[in-house]
Amino acid sequence: MSKHAAINRFGRSANPAFTRNFNGFSRDVPSSERMTLDGAVNKTGILLSLCFGGAFIGWNIPMLMFPAMIIGFILALVTIFRSPSKAGSTAPLYSLAQGIFLGGITLIFETQFPGIAIQALALTFGILATLLVCYKSGLILPTQNFRLMIVSAIGGIFLLYFVNFIMSFFGSTLNFLTSNSLTSIGISIVIVGVAALSLVLDFDFIEEGAEKGLPKYMEWYGAFSLMVTLIWLYLEILRLLAKIRSR
Amino acid sequence: MNSIFFGVIAILSLYAFFKLAKVKASSKQTNRSNRINRFGNQESHNIIEGESEDITDEKEK
Repeated sequence: MSKHAAINRFGRSANPAFTRNFNGFSRDVPSSERMTLDGAVNKTGILLSLCFGGAFIGWNIPMLMFPAMIIGFILALVTIFRSPSKAGSTAPLYSLAQGIFLGGITLIFETQFPGIAIQALALTFGILATLLVCYKSGLILPTQNFRLMIVSAIGGIFLLYFVNFIMSFFGSTLNFLTSNSLTSIGISIVIVGVAALSLVLDFDFIEEGAEKGLPKYMEWYGAFSLMVTLIWLYLEILRLLAKIRSR
Repeated sequence: MNSIFFGVIAILSLYAFFKLAKVKASSKQTNRSNRINRFGNQESHNIIEGESEDITDEKEK
């Protein structure tokens, strides 16, 4: 039984991809069939390449953006809640679909604010590399309390987004979330911070999974979860830069 | 010029990520008592200590 009731209730990680319980793995997985750090990193590379390929398509055919977003969302739900063991087939499709969506939305932002895409990309990968250094060196030590904090923050953020989404049907939005006021920029910075810290939990999941020798398909699952967080982080950075540039 | 600068940052960061991600985390990170234990203790074994006894058909009768 975990120390924190909330963690037991909502799952054991900030990333929705990690809210399942993986305690039931067999200890008799052969060494060749076990998750490794190399495998997870290579699969992250494959998913990133597919995402870039998708972005190229989405950039050139922006009308595919919304169908791709819906398909990507469904694939993410299937991977998380139905079949983590099939992540090897769903995660590449998810990355491709999300790439198409990102390509389209990036084109919209780039048309309004030239140069914003490369800035958002550099910031996203910069944060990724910096946090990996901090994690590997032990500068950031994720604990149960750290995870509980991130889970709570993500819950709050998605509740706000959901309320904003519902309000948009009635012709209104949450101003402090969508405007370019200083408050809105401050909130965006906090959201980027939470998304960035979620990466640390992803690194820890992959590191622990490789240490404990989880089944091979968890390499795809780990890479998928990293992609989910990276895509979220990129979108939040894009929004933040757009708010700053529009002032 | 700006685009080149940010492009170089993005490529260097990606390169650093793929190089460093394959390295095992420091012992400061891995050998600590307050780590998040997602998968339970995978190293433990299901061995029940005690004497073993053969079950034969005769005994069952």
